[in-house]
Amino acid sequence: MNARSKKLSEPLDDETAIDGKIGERIVPPPVFPRGATIGFELRVIAVWVTLLVLFVLFFLSFGLKFEIIFNRFPNLAGLKLTKDGFIQGAALTLFVCFFSIIASIILGLLSALGRLSTSSLLYGISTFYTSFFRGTPLLVQIFLIYLGLPQLGPVPDAIPAGIIALSLNYGAYLSEIFRSGIISVPIGQREAGASLGLPPWVVMWTIVLPQATRIVIPPTGSQFIAMLKDSSLISVMGVWEIMFLAQSFGRSSYRYIEMLTTAAAIYWLLASGFEIIQARLEVKFGKCYKKAH
Amino acid sequence: MRKLMIAALAPALIGGTMSAALAGETLDRVMKNKVLVEVTDQAYPPFSYIDESGEVVGLDVDIAKEIAKRLGVEYKVETPSWEIIVAGNWHGRWDICVCSMTPTSERAQVLDFVNEYYAAPANIVVNVDNNDIKAATDLTGKKVGAQAGTTYEKYLLKELSIEKAAPIEFPFGDLTTVPYDSEDTAFQDLALGTGKRLDAVVSGYLTAKERVDKNPDKFKIVGEPLYGEPIWVAVDKGDPEWQAKIKEIFKAMEADGTLKAISEKWVGADITSKQM
Repeated sequence: MNARSKKLSEPLDDETAIDGKIGERIVPPPVFPRGATIGFELRVIAVWVTLLVLFVLFFLSFGLKFEIIFNRFPNLAGLKLTKDGFIQGAALTLFVCFFSIIASIILGLLSALGRLSTSSLLYGISTFYTSFFRGTPLLVQIFLIYLGLPQLGPVPDAIPAGIIALSLNYGAYLSEIFRSGIISVPIGQREAGASLGLPPWVVMWTIVLPQATRIVIPPTGSQFIAMLKDSSLISVMGVWEIMFLAQSFGRSSYRYIEMLTTAAAIYWLLASGFEIIQARLEVKFGKCYKKAH
Repeated sequence: MRKLMIAALAPALIGGTMSAALAGETLDRVMKNKVLVEVTDQAYPPFSYIDESGEVVGLDVDIAKEIAKRLGVEYKVETPSWEIIVAGNWHGRWDICVCSMTPTSERAQVLDFVNEYYAAPANIVVNVDNNDIKAATDLTGKKVGAQAGTTYEKYLLKELSIEKAAPIEFPFGDLTTVPYDSEDTAFQDLALGTGKRLDAVVSGYLTAKERVDKNPDKFKIVGEPLYGEPIWVAVDKGDPEWQAKIKEIFKAMEADGTLKAISEKWVGADITSKQM
């Protein structure tokens, strides 16, 4: 069989022959056997609905004033622009997260490759970077960038400062996740690439990273959900994202719990959206393992 | 020859622009950008807060807007956290803070205080079920809440000294000061009942009054005012021209009754101070 005619990222059928019959993969038994139950999904939905109803009843027991929630919801959800015509609330949170996600993926990947490189300089920079940004609180990093950078000259605005802080912080966490993904790809894959005469960066880009991607998607998705909520910390710089508006409205109307509950609901909805995207990506990058799982 | 001329001119030019930058830097920036950037607290009703339509409004905001109008420039407001405002070193981010700030000695080290524009008393607020605390002396041995970084917290720690004002007395013994990130959390805790988490909260009279009026079944203000709190306009360090301009505008606003009108609009009384 001509190996090059197949997509390089897909494991060859012959390799899996070690595990069982040719062209067939062994399916591990599920951790919790489902048995012969009908309607497993239906029962899961029933559990969800019950828990959700109990949860809503718990919130209703606070004696919330719904008028204020309806009044301020469009602002918090980002459906309205500010008086200056800028986005606010959930729209601004997503805006900040969008750029932070892109920048943190790039930073994380570069740092992971630096950590895996044989260059002492790159290894040193990468480990120093991950150590500092994982080892200090995000809030401190935000203050350092917003109040510290001006001492050196540049005076960043609040939103860019927030994006920089979130990107640097999450890039450090992603660095370790990406590294774990890269080293989990069997060494044989790289050797196979090298034996075909492919240059190292082609091996990394077309053979190792696509296989690593599948492995790192679940923990990376978790990181981005965490980022979504941590973006509330940039409210200290007066960025009108969800948490800033919830606190401002809550304080000035003396209806704090109402606004916090609304903010929680919005964050949860957004996080659910992230979960769906993560599930889609898992399916996309797990195509070649579909038979097994 | 040309090179020589440039060499001779350069220091003069640089020196010229540098001194211009030092004198009236903020004023220059405001007039050049045609916008006055005010920095104020995000939630301090009725002085500054975000209203139902999502606009920052209040007494402080109206005064700053009026200053912008009299300078003939646009008005813009930013609302970072209080700690960032009082940290000083604004690096040109903001031009003026009409933000109900009391000039403490610590703040005077990083900010310049221009003029007093109103005075506000500080008071004790207790839960309605409380009958022990009637004056500052009764605070001894109690758990008393205040917003962190405010004069109220400094008062409870017996560390408060206000610039350009008489020394303050602390007529109470040892007590437990409970600092809060926001006053709302302090009042939520006080609402749980006396002694649950707090026995009292020290707060500004005007904001406390609004809260008590909205929740008469939960809180009450007790005793005489603890101390009078002068409220000043603050700016970043080192621009006497800008300060002179602000003082001039305040005098004009006092003379034509604008200050009084703004005060009456927001707090129902004239609380403004005489402009010197």
